[in-house]
Amino acid sequence: MQDYITVGMLNSYITRLLDHDARLQDFWLKGEISGFRLYQQSGHIYFTLKDEEASVSCVMFKSKGQHLTFKPEDGMEVLLRGYVSVFARQGKYQVYVEEMQPYGTGGLFLYLEKLKARLAAEGYFALEKKKKIPRIVNRVGVVTSQDGAALQDILRVIKQRHPGVEVILAHSSVQGNEAPRELAQGVQILNEYGDVDVIIVGRGGGSLEDLMAFNSEELVYAIYHSCIPIISGVGHEVDFTFSDLTADLRAATPTQAAQLAVPDFSLLQKDLTSLSKRMVRFMQRTLSNREERLDRSMMTKVWREPGILLQRQQDILAETGNRLKRAMEGKIQDKTHHLALAAAGIDNLSPLKVMTRGYAILTKDERVIKDVSAIEIGDVLQADLANGRLQVVIKGKEKMKNGKYQF
Amino acid sequence: MENINFDTALERLEDIVEQLESGQLALEASLALFEEGVKLSLYCQKELKKTDGRVQRLFKKLNGELELIELDV
Repeated sequence: MQDYITVGMLNSYITRLLDHDARLQDFWLKGEISGFRLYQQSGHIYFTLKDEEASVSCVMFKSKGQHLTFKPEDGMEVLLRGYVSVFARQGKYQVYVEEMQPYGTGGLFLYLEKLKARLAAEGYFALEKKKKIPRIVNRVGVVTSQDGAALQDILRVIKQRHPGVEVILAHSSVQGNEAPRELAQGVQILNEYGDVDVIIVGRGGGSLEDLMAFNSEELVYAIYHSCIPIISGVGHEVDFTFSDLTADLRAATPTQAAQLAVPDFSLLQKDLTSLSKRMVRFMQRTLSNREERLDRSMMTKVWREPGILLQRQQDILAETGNRLKRAMEGKIQDKTHHLALAAAGIDNLSPLKVMTRGYAILTKDERVIKDVSAIEIGDVLQADLANGRLQVVIKGKEKMKNGKYQF
Repeated sequence: MENINFDTALERLEDIVEQLESGQLALEASLALFEEGVKLSLYCQKELKKTDGRVQRLFKKLNGELELIELDV
């Protein structure tokens, strides 16, 4: 029988060899991620790191992975620090990753730029989706760490501005692997609870890596889908995170977020009082103005001695009557005069009147003679004069022709 | 006054005061607006004094129910 060793012995021997090589115990390695898997239950991360020539299995345990400041994915170039050891059960060596970051000129920035472009293209930062922050709030939801300075800042400012405002805290870690999920969940349970007027999401200042949870897709989605308006206050003035861009209002700091969420109570009270005062003053002025006008018109003679109004009407009536009478009298006189004149004219035309002036009317057999031809010499005619009748005998006759008598 | 919140009430109140002060309204219309304005003002005052300043923490329990506990801060 040949001497032999067990597989286990082989693997532990190799393990010892590798473990004793200091160069393999702490090094930086660059490559592209492929086959990335995050096991939900254990929280461990497995992937293959490769470059043009080779590939190597990598594992990052949960205890290390939860400090990741970005979301690794296939195709991403990373720089990682770790050590090599043997996974005895499969007889393969692998890299145990201690820390990892995107590789390249500001690898993290590149990653963020890419994510930002995608989120923007998908409409998460769209201004027209922003909800209005209400002017007063009775209940403020806050998503941050219960132990952070940010919460203390927020509570202090709220107390100052409006002591009555209630605060509902949804505690969440604000950095590390769990932070994106917890922050998103904080927004969600406040929405589920529903009875807050505005939500502040935030944390105090830190490095870019510390703030990465506020750049996470999970939080961006939660903020975007919130039915309650959200104010984001992350880090310092200069820090701009994707939660800032997605929120309905961006505050520079958690303190400012609280100022924007809660109006100054005393100012609001003052506004309200001033409006009420203006309204009452206007009404008083209007009413006293009307009263004055009413008084003034009641003071006039008409109201004090209403008989005057009647008297005046009577005067007018009498005066009009008189004028009518006068006018009629004038007219009647006029007509009488005309009548007299006309009667006189008629009188002058009467044949009797004409006869008094020496004219006579000749008749024969009761017919008035107007033509000499109808009369023969020796005819007996009647001549009526003004005061009697004559019988005349015709002795001769001449006829007028062209203004001359003819015989 | 149903379906109203502080913001809309305050805006309406501001609107009423401006309308009144424009002096273009008949007395009856002014009085009606004034009456509405007084109601709005009282409502806003009440809204401002409504809450008691507690700080609570919201939990989601394992069975999915939400629970609030007082925080002493």
